[in-house]
Amino acid sequence: MTEILRVEGLTTRFFTDEGQINAVEDVDFRIHEGEIFGIVGESGSGKSVTALSLVDIVEKPGQIVSGRIWLRNPHLADSIRSDNPDAVDGEMVDLRSINPRLRRALRGSAFSMIFQDPMSSFNPSITVGEQIAEAVEVQRRAKANPRSTASRTQGFGLGQFAMATVLPSKRFVTPAGRDRAIELLELVGIPDPAQRAEEYPHQFSGGMLQRAMIAQALASEPDILLADEPTTALDVTIQAQVLELLEEIRDRTNMTILLITHNLGVIARTCDRVGVMYAGEMVERGTLTDIFRDSVHPYTQGLIGSIPQLDQVKGRLQPIPGNVPSLRAAELGDRCYFADRCPKAMKRCLEKPPMFDVDGSEKHRAKCYLAEQPYDEGDALPEDYFDG
Amino acid sequence: MISARLRRSLKREFRQSRMAQVGALILVVIFITTAFAPFFAPHDPTEQRIGTGTTEDMSYLPPPVFSTTENVTVFEDGERVTREVTTQGNWSFVLGTDRHGRDILSRILYGGRVSLSVGLVGAALAALIGVPWGLAAGFAGGRVDDTLMRWADVMLAFPSLVLAIALVGIFRGTPFHTRAIGDPFVWAANSDFVPNILIPRAGHVAEMPESMTFPVTVTIVVALVNTVWFARVARGEAISVREEDYIKAARSMGTGKLTILRKHVLPNSMTPIIVLATIQVAAIILLESALSYLGFSGISLSWGQDIQRGQSDLRRGWWMATMPGLAIVAAVVAVNLVGDWLRDALDPSIEGEGGV
Repeated sequence: MTEILRVEGLTTRFFTDEGQINAVEDVDFRIHEGEIFGIVGESGSGKSVTALSLVDIVEKPGQIVSGRIWLRNPHLADSIRSDNPDAVDGEMVDLRSINPRLRRALRGSAFSMIFQDPMSSFNPSITVGEQIAEAVEVQRRAKANPRSTASRTQGFGLGQFAMATVLPSKRFVTPAGRDRAIELLELVGIPDPAQRAEEYPHQFSGGMLQRAMIAQALASEPDILLADEPTTALDVTIQAQVLELLEEIRDRTNMTILLITHNLGVIARTCDRVGVMYAGEMVERGTLTDIFRDSVHPYTQGLIGSIPQLDQVKGRLQPIPGNVPSLRAAELGDRCYFADRCPKAMKRCLEKPPMFDVDGSEKHRAKCYLAEQPYDEGDALPEDYFDG
Repeated sequence: MISARLRRSLKREFRQSRMAQVGALILVVIFITTAFAPFFAPHDPTEQRIGTGTTEDMSYLPPPVFSTTENVTVFEDGERVTREVTTQGNWSFVLGTDRHGRDILSRILYGGRVSLSVGLVGAALAALIGVPWGLAAGFAGGRVDDTLMRWADVMLAFPSLVLAIALVGIFRGTPFHTRAIGDPFVWAANSDFVPNILIPRAGHVAEMPESMTFPVTVTIVVALVNTVWFARVARGEAISVREEDYIKAARSMGTGKLTILRKHVLPNSMTPIIVLATIQVAAIILLESALSYLGFSGISLSWGQDIQRGQSDLRRGWWMATMPGLAIVAAVVAVNLVGDWLRDALDPSIEGEGGV
């Protein structure tokens, strides 16, 4: 399988008035073409910021501090290899090293995002079809010859721009864009797409709207589809439909999908490989079986232990004690961030663990000393160590 | 931009609110009678009737029904005689006449053209400048926002009338201080192209003044002074809309900033801006009246000017200052009532904000 995305040392921080917040800290992962890669973690673990960092739409005061985002794009790699050799590695291009204009042009074609709440992710004052057509149109322009204004704007000059602001009938939707929007709505299984395209977001149900959003994301024919908690706002039966749709799209178009969720059930049924995030770090990653059966990190084990099992009616769920730590840099020590909640914390854990290969396999890695040595009770941290 | 739901809401609110109906009625009447002033004005508003021997003295006529009594001292056979003279109103001058014998009703109808056109053009101009200003500031945030809005604060720090007078002082030297605009109705009545049947009162209209004067400087000044309100409201809206997920979605697709502003931010900020615009029309009518009352507008036929002239004649008659004053009150109240109706219909949660 060809590698399509390689993230190295991605670090995103928020420089707020109350101090620096390390939302994403030194995250590495790879995604292969046609794969569904899951990122799982609690709220505030940096999953969404990771996705926003990939697309480069982190809002101020947030900032991507360091890291490289290698995306496979042979065409672009060839064209900039001579000018900017640092940004090219074989067929991969580092999105952080290319110029911002080029970066913006790549936004839609490299990544498309599906957001958590479909209801708020559509502009309520524009029809759904028009918003999908907008995505089509933006891509068309991004791909057009950048030196020819005519080819980019297709006669949509400043005068038209002003007219479109005032007159609803002058809205910027080309017939081609409209047709494509209807085609996409049909693709995601919306009945009567031509009619639905003319409707406003409030006339759609949540599940329908999430389908429409997937259609919008597909409009730009992205290399990677980023689905940020795509099912969280939907009820369970609709959740299953949306996940099925994502899998179907993957199977049909060999689309690569990065699925972000806090729901391990969603991960288990859809993903090929998984990364587990905790306090801004990716603490363990591997294949589905690596994570669900052979997990090394006590956090991953805790997450799995807290899934309700239908076959065990009696007995309480086992929650992980404590809370996700504050990500404020000043409060984060230089230790394993999970040590205070970890049932297997050792004295060693007061020193930050590096990423270890588990069982010598580069595909399953964990940021935990337990990958290297078995739990040593003699070396355990006293239980009240963090209370004082 | 106006959805079916909005139309329904407007209709329902209109049916329920007696105030909205009254306001709309007054506004429609004022609008039609002033726009078509040459048809409705009974006399030429500039024609003087001061009694030059051949014509009768018509000055200081009170409105009909009313009469004034004065002691007039005359010399008769070398003797000073004081006589009581009673002046009775005349039905051909429904609101009376001023010191030059000019018909006050006609002057109000013509003066309203200035007030309304300055109000509408001024508010539109203020919105045209202020809305992009505020949207840009709110959407960009950070230093851009600070810079743009500090300007707004500076403008707000001056009382609007003082600022307006200062600006008029700066701009009045320009050749466009006032501009005479040909009256389309008079032009049509005088031209041979329009058959007279189309204009039943063509003869009457043809005797009216051929042009109206539009105070360009004052319009620009009142627009500039009130721009700040649009900027502030638009900025607030842009800040709240900016955080919406659909803006994030548009950005993630690679949509440009200008397109996001136009397509996503502007339409979703429109509601309070529309309401503000109506209220600003009233505020600008008041400001224009104040400026022309003080003599800054550069035109002689407007409500403010007539109040100012009538004021010096208050001892001779109350109607000369009162009638144009009532016209201002009617127009401002009507606009505000309509503004309230729009506000209630568009969004019950927002409070009107206007700088008067």
